[in-house]
Parts: sequence; C-alpha cells; structure tokens
Amino acid sequence: MSIAVLLILAIAAFLAGLGGSYLGVGGGIFLIPFMTLALSVNIKVAIATSLIGVIANSSGAASVYVRDHLTNLRLAMFLEVATTLGAIAGALVGLGVPDFYLYVVFGVVVLYAATTMARIRETAKERAYQAGEEAPLTKRLKLSSVYFDQEDQGVYRYRVERPVAGFGVSAAAGLFSGLLGVGGGFIKVPAMNVLMRVPMKAAVATSNFMIGVTAAASAFIYYSQGLVDPGLAAMVIIGVFSGTNLGTRLLAHAKSSNVRFVFALFLAVLGTAMVARLFLPGVPI
Amino acid sequence: MQQRVSNLRRAVVAEVEDINRLIYHVLRGGVVVSVAILLFGFVLVAFSGQPIPESGSIPPRALARPLFTFTPEGYLSLGVLVLIFTPVVRVFLSLVSFARERDRQYVLMTAIVFANLLVSLVLLA
Repeated sequence: MSIAVLLILAIAAFLAGLGGSYLGVGGGIFLIPFMTLALSVNIKVAIATSLIGVIANSSGAASVYVRDHLTNLRLAMFLEVATTLGAIAGALVGLGVPDFYLYVVFGVVVLYAATTMARIRETAKERAYQAGEEAPLTKRLKLSSVYFDQEDQGVYRYRVERPVAGFGVSAAAGLFSGLLGVGGGFIKVPAMNVLMRVPMKAAVATSNFMIGVTAAASAFIYYSQGLVDPGLAAMVIIGVFSGTNLGTRLLAHAKSSNVRFVFALFLAVLGTAMVARLFLPGVPI
Repeated sequence: MQQRVSNLRRAVVAEVEDINRLIYHVLRGGVVVSVAILLFGFVLVAFSGQPIPESGSIPPRALARPLFTFTPEGYLSLGVLVLIFTPVVRVFLSLVSFARERDRQYVLMTAIVFANLLVSLVLLA
C-alpha cells in the first residue's frame, strides 16, 4: 500500500466522517465502494476496515450528541439488543458468503439507501406530543423522552410509537451492519423517524449512538479472522475522527437538505458502479 | 411535600447529567487515545524507514511482543483494538448505571447486549 493510496483513503474517510455524523449514518456505505472500486481493496477487508471507521464515527459523534441531550439512551439500549444480535449473525454469514454475492447485496443496499436518503423529509420533527394511550411496551420501558433543540432553544417532549416494529427493523439493520460493514443508519434513522415517530434530530443522535456497539459486535469477529488491515484501519480512523469533529459542529446549525441530496446522488453512482463492476470482463473480484 | 418532590427531581436530573457526562468522556476519550496510539504507530513507521506494513491484524494475545519491541504493526493494531473496545466499556458503564437505578428491565437488556459483545469477543480470542 503506497503512501499516496493511504492519504487518498484518509481524505475519503474524512468525507465519510463528515457526511456520516451529519446525516446519522456510519459512513461505511460510502467507504466500502470507494475502497473496492478506487483502491482495489478486497471486499471483505474493506468491510472489516469500514466497521472500524463506523465505530470511530459513532464514538466521536455520539459522545457530543449525548452531552447535548439529543440521544435517547433508553431507546438506544432497547434497540441495541436487536442490532447486536443481528450484527453477529450478519458477520458470521458475511464471512461464509462468496465475494460475488456481497457485491450484489451491497450494490442493492446502497441504491436503496440513496433513494431513502433523497426522500427523507428534513422537517419531520413531529413535535406534538400526541394524546391517547401510549403503546404498552413504550410505557413499560419508559421509552418516551425529551430532547433539546439548539436551533430554537426549545425542549421537546416526544413519545415512541410502535416499539415492536422498531425492534424488528433494528435487527435487520444490525444484520446488514455485520454483513456489509455499514452502520445501518440509513435503515434506522427513517425507521425511528417515520415508524416510531422520534423527532429527526433525536433519531439521528440515537442511531449514531447505537452504531458503535453494533459495529463492535461484528468488528471483533472480522478482527479475529485477520481481515482488519492495521494500516488501512489507522488511516480510516484518523480521517473519520477529523471529519466527525467538523460534522457534529455543523449539525447544530446548518440545514442538511442539500448535503443529503448530494450524498444521495453520490451513493446512487457508487451503487451502480458496484453492480456494474460484476459484469465488466477481466475485473478481478 | 412539593419541596421534597422538587428536590428529588433535581437529584434525578443531576444523576442523569452524571451518566451523560461519563459516557461523553468515555466515548470521546476512547477515540482520542486510539488516534494518539495510531499516530505514534505512524511515527514508528517513519523511523523504521520501511513501507507501512500490510500484515493482517495481530490478535490481542500476540500483541505483547510487538509492543515491547516497538514495531509499527503492534501499535497500529493496539490503536484499532482500543477503538473497538470503547463501545464495550460504554455498555458496561450503562449496565452499572442502570443497576444503581435498580431498573431491572434495563439491567437485563444491557446485560444481553454486553453478553452479545462477549460472545463476539470469545470468537476473537
């Protein structure tokens, strides 16, 4: 691995950290296509390296969101039961599956992520505390919470709807995380926002918080198989760490709809390239 | 009575505040320590005058020797491991804090998450 390649990777990781922390995704969905397509890294090594970047992103961003009272710690804990189980299963499946299928699944998932990302409504805050009975499980686990919005200096109370469905979706997000080395934020954030009616900022922060633990569960498995390349991983950690520091500062103030659209477009291109690669003659996988 | 309730509420808020702060410091500290170790690893690479090693990750039990001999691979692997362990420490802290609140349901859930991480960790060893 030459110095130039490693520096390019660090810059890519910086962008992944920036976009990831900003949009509540781990950034892996961008790093893996980049590593496999631009740097010709083996896809399983790319997945393992990306998981490390995802943890760096989560720890960096989540710490700030926890301090700023955006994260719903109870909801995170509840859903992490599902995501960690899914992640272990995903990693074990991922190690056994031929690379070809990983490319196909990844391409499809990236394209799916691009469409959800483009469609998400930025202002879906759902601030009104709805009347009527809470779901029994929400009540029992005290999942409903408050968050502090820096934009208008307000404290907003919200309740969590459909906890069981959210739990199921989280298990799927964990599975994809372990299988493909992504954070799964593109599944969890819309699920929490639309399905469970958690306000957007709280959903982004809570998703980011969960991603670290989820990725750790499968990262151990990939590490044990010798798939984590320390040099690559180090560059990714340093790049992501710098990007995250900037991204969390931006989330508090700016509007992210433009970033989201560019990110979605970018993902669509990457996803298409991943799938297209399979059908190009003479390209080793 | 009202006074007591508000005192109690303040105590609860202070407690939550403590946990949030602690989690913040652990997560942040884990990443910072990891980055520091990795940078040290790259300094060793620069001094060794050799290209960045392309070996796979070194398992924890084989890590002592490369660390004592100050080889870059050892420190790069250690930095990565510190980062992976950060969320594990965070979950452990949550476990302790829910236990102190005597919140049985959450102790149970956190324990399951912790057990999942340990299962994955056993696969590592």
